[in-house]
Amino acid sequence: MKNIKQESINPDPSEKRKEVKKKLRKLEGLPTLPPIIQRLNQMIEDERTSLHQIAEIIEKDQVITTKILRLANSAFYGFPRKVSTVQQAMMLLGLNVLKILIMTSSIFEFIHKEDIGLWEHSIGVAACSKIIAEKIGAGDSQEIATAGLLHDLGRVIIMVVLKEDQPKILDLISEGVDPLSAEKRVLGIDHAEIGAFLMAQWNLPERLIEAVASHHNLENSKKYRKEASILHLSDLLVHARGYGKTLYESLPPFEVRALKYLGLGWGEIKEILFNLEPRLYELKFFTEELKKELSS
Amino acid sequence: MQRLPLSYLKPGMKTYEEVYDAQGRVLCGKGVELTEEMIKRFYELGVSYVTVEGTPVKLPWEKSLEEELSELEKRFEGVNDENLLQIKEILKELLYEKYKARIHQS
Repeated sequence: MKNIKQESINPDPSEKRKEVKKKLRKLEGLPTLPPIIQRLNQMIEDERTSLHQIAEIIEKDQVITTKILRLANSAFYGFPRKVSTVQQAMMLLGLNVLKILIMTSSIFEFIHKEDIGLWEHSIGVAACSKIIAEKIGAGDSQEIATAGLLHDLGRVIIMVVLKEDQPKILDLISEGVDPLSAEKRVLGIDHAEIGAFLMAQWNLPERLIEAVASHHNLENSKKYRKEASILHLSDLLVHARGYGKTLYESLPPFEVRALKYLGLGWGEIKEILFNLEPRLYELKFFTEELKKELSS
Repeated sequence: MQRLPLSYLKPGMKTYEEVYDAQGRVLCGKGVELTEEMIKRFYELGVSYVTVEGTPVKLPWEKSLEEELSELEKRFEGVNDENLLQIKEILKELLYEKYKARIHQS
């Protein structure tokens, strides 16, 4: 039955895959990167530029400044105090993370509007990833939090760029096909690969790309298996806690070896979940604030 | 007790624990009744959250323990992987503890 459906939907997934990648390369239908990014890239490459100068450039763009400060202040980075200037955000998050936030802010805006459940899921996973990264001492936990934020970027891209395929995916899921296979059948590619593909187009750090690409398939990862495992585990825990909403009605498939890769036992999982709870509580206020703004 | 962002604070609410500023200095002790002035000062000093006594604000998204538990059961319906069930047990424990704390402290 499922096979018949597959054929009627998509006679040749590999052809479709090519078509999808072509669209992604052209970024059809996606908001363009803010022009400030190009300027920033030049400045970052130029060793004579000081961080102060970079902060000044960003601050000139009021819209971007507002977006960055809002993200920096949301609970998933977990700063105890308010971040009120770009310079502070830069000190706390690092230039790398700041750049990623600028580049992806238009995408986030889209998620707020179209799929608040996916947004909540993403910030929940960001918060959880950060807690795990700190727990196991997996360097630059802000960067890992940002990987968490972006882990389902591919889902957003499907909603924006591949709109006409979205209903076919949802149909398959409602028939009982698991979401990842449904995406592969319809598109010839799944959301993890789509997200990573786009992140590579944007020249984001390899560590983030590999983590996102492998978050549903840990064996795929090479250099950054820990990072991929963090996203995998966070994704599961946030679903299990029932925070936000994705295509998985219940739980995503879980690879228990993620725990082995991270060196975590049940005692630590318990600690992680107990630390996550107050973060999720705070994030709820953040989402409500966004919702209010969108409806006003 | 209830942890609230500044925008939810109202004069007359009582602090459940100390409020700190950016340098970790105590701005306000326990059991102090908040005034308009104090809330304004918290804004200026970059405080994000204050924990107050009782549960003065009804948050529309908050669920009862029963709701939480029944939704948890639903999410884990048909799951028999022992690792996942372990996570479910931890979450149950977390929920019981969270709601127990609420009853005691409110």
